[in-house]
Amino acid sequence: MMKMVMRRIAFLVFVIFGVSLVTFVLSHIIPGDPASMMAGQHASKQTVEHIRQQLGLDQPILIQYVEYVKGVLSGDFGTSIRTQNPVIDDLANYFPATLELAIAAFIIAILLGIPLGIVSAVKKNQFWDHASRIFSISGVSIPVFFSGLVAILIFYGYLNWFPANGRIDMTINPPTRITSFYIIDSLLSGDMIALKSSLQHIILPALVLSYAQLAIITRQVRASMLEVLSQEYIRTAKANGIHGYKLLIRYALRNALVPTVTVIGTSFGALLGGAVVTETIFDWPGMGKYVVDSIAYLDFPAIMGFTLFISIGYVLINLMVDITYFILNPQLKE
Amino acid sequence: MINPQIASEATKKNIKTHPIWFKLKHNKMTLIGFLILFAMIVLALLAPVLTPYDPIKINVAEKFQGPSFRHLFGTDEVGRDILTRTLFGARLSLGVGLLVIIIAACFGIFIGAVSGYFGGIIDQIVMRIMDMLLAFPTLILAMALTASLGPSLHNAMIAIAIVEIPIYVRLARSETLVLREKLFVKSAAVFGIRPIPIILKHIIPNAVSPVIIQATLNVGNAILMIATLGFLGLGAQPPTPEWGSMISIGWKYLLDYWWYPTFPGIFLFLTSGALNLIGDGVRDILDPKSNR
Repeated sequence: MMKMVMRRIAFLVFVIFGVSLVTFVLSHIIPGDPASMMAGQHASKQTVEHIRQQLGLDQPILIQYVEYVKGVLSGDFGTSIRTQNPVIDDLANYFPATLELAIAAFIIAILLGIPLGIVSAVKKNQFWDHASRIFSISGVSIPVFFSGLVAILIFYGYLNWFPANGRIDMTINPPTRITSFYIIDSLLSGDMIALKSSLQHIILPALVLSYAQLAIITRQVRASMLEVLSQEYIRTAKANGIHGYKLLIRYALRNALVPTVTVIGTSFGALLGGAVVTETIFDWPGMGKYVVDSIAYLDFPAIMGFTLFISIGYVLINLMVDITYFILNPQLKE
Repeated sequence: MINPQIASEATKKNIKTHPIWFKLKHNKMTLIGFLILFAMIVLALLAPVLTPYDPIKINVAEKFQGPSFRHLFGTDEVGRDILTRTLFGARLSLGVGLLVIIIAACFGIFIGAVSGYFGGIIDQIVMRIMDMLLAFPTLILAMALTASLGPSLHNAMIAIAIVEIPIYVRLARSETLVLREKLFVKSAAVFGIRPIPIILKHIIPNAVSPVIIQATLNVGNAILMIATLGFLGLGAQPPTPEWGSMISIGWKYLLDYWWYPTFPGIFLFLTSGALNLIGDGVRDILDPKSNR
């Protein structure tokens, strides 16, 4: 167990190096000169040269990479051309909003996905199974920007049940900043008006973001429940008079969840990626919207900083998933 | 329910009762997928004859007309017929999706076969590079690549191909590891045939089928990614009739002119849905555990 974890951590260090190498190479193949871009159109040659020196762009490429990695290791991701702030500060500012949205979507995907998968497996090839299969095929086929559009058209445009932009109503003060999660903060400070508004704002984007992952989790739970339910020990348990809820949850689901954990884990990483599009649509002030705005501005330090940040997060999540999988599956312990 | 044994006996007599046909016929969802895809391909191919309008020419006098007999899907902000643009979009999406996957699969199978056949340091380097690529969430890496190369359809295609390559490399490599120990490959080497001809003539033809299956499963995904990059402004640029970029512009007019982004969206959804249904069916058929 320890050996496995150590090996994975060694691999993690390697991957982070690799990821930083990729983002470094990417930000150096860009057409155009970042120094003159940063200086603006009307800058003199001297200013451009000065900025070039400041950015270290006059150094040999290898030294530039070493400096880049040194910076990354100490949390310096460069300076955004658009906002003029250090990229890491910008990301830190926008990250809580993204995380709050991703967690909300994650909870929805798990709470709906597991029961749907169980129902689908138990009622195999009956109405509910077909319904839930169509539902999950749609989930992986519909692009986030289209499901978001339909959701806004129906729930905001026609029914006007939920607002469709931002984290909280413009006329309401955000809750006192404690964790930067609006829902938790407003609960902690007892600010019921802010709580209501932030809940209303998060429902649509969280549902839209969760749909694809919900579909994937449902599929996985269905497949592994079907496999578990056909095993001998379930038949024995049935013969011993165990049935209904107890059989399904205590006997079958426990084993069916082991392969599902991997899917659930990777789905959180995918949620962080999907947040880019969702945030753009719902005008959610998170990292995804930040990076899309940066793309429009060709703000490479910001784009690469975001890519690096998300990828490191993604690798860390995968490591945690592997460890959980290991703990859940005693057969893997030698 | 027909006994599967009888079905497999019938195989000998008639190819139409081959087990795969048998499974396919009894898998309605897969059949629906094939039908939708077929219809989509026909619509895409016939796009220029099906509508009298030009997908790019501007006709401001007719802007923002709702769906009617003249314009079944309405018109956009400069008076172009949305049906026409959507059909031409089908051409582009299907063609580009297929092309990207073919490029990725060709590169992937070659790199994987070389890596597996030579082993040693080459294999180590190749596989570590693939691990690096897999460490990124796919959409994010495709975004960063396209942003660096410059937003355009070509660059989006290159980016998606690069993101998709590692899957094929891994598949081809693991096939190659088995194949290179086979007698016919070893004897070819003994006869003095050079490694590259061995890889091209003996390894790749025998490693190709799992790669092809994986490739068919991924076309839908590639189409979605192209549309997503288009939506973010990184893929096809206006006025190219591409679903993602059409939705991205139409999106701003959603609440007043709902038809603008909705119809391209429905087509995108149907296409990728059909490909996913087919992918599911293929997986079912190939899975020995599922007997339906």
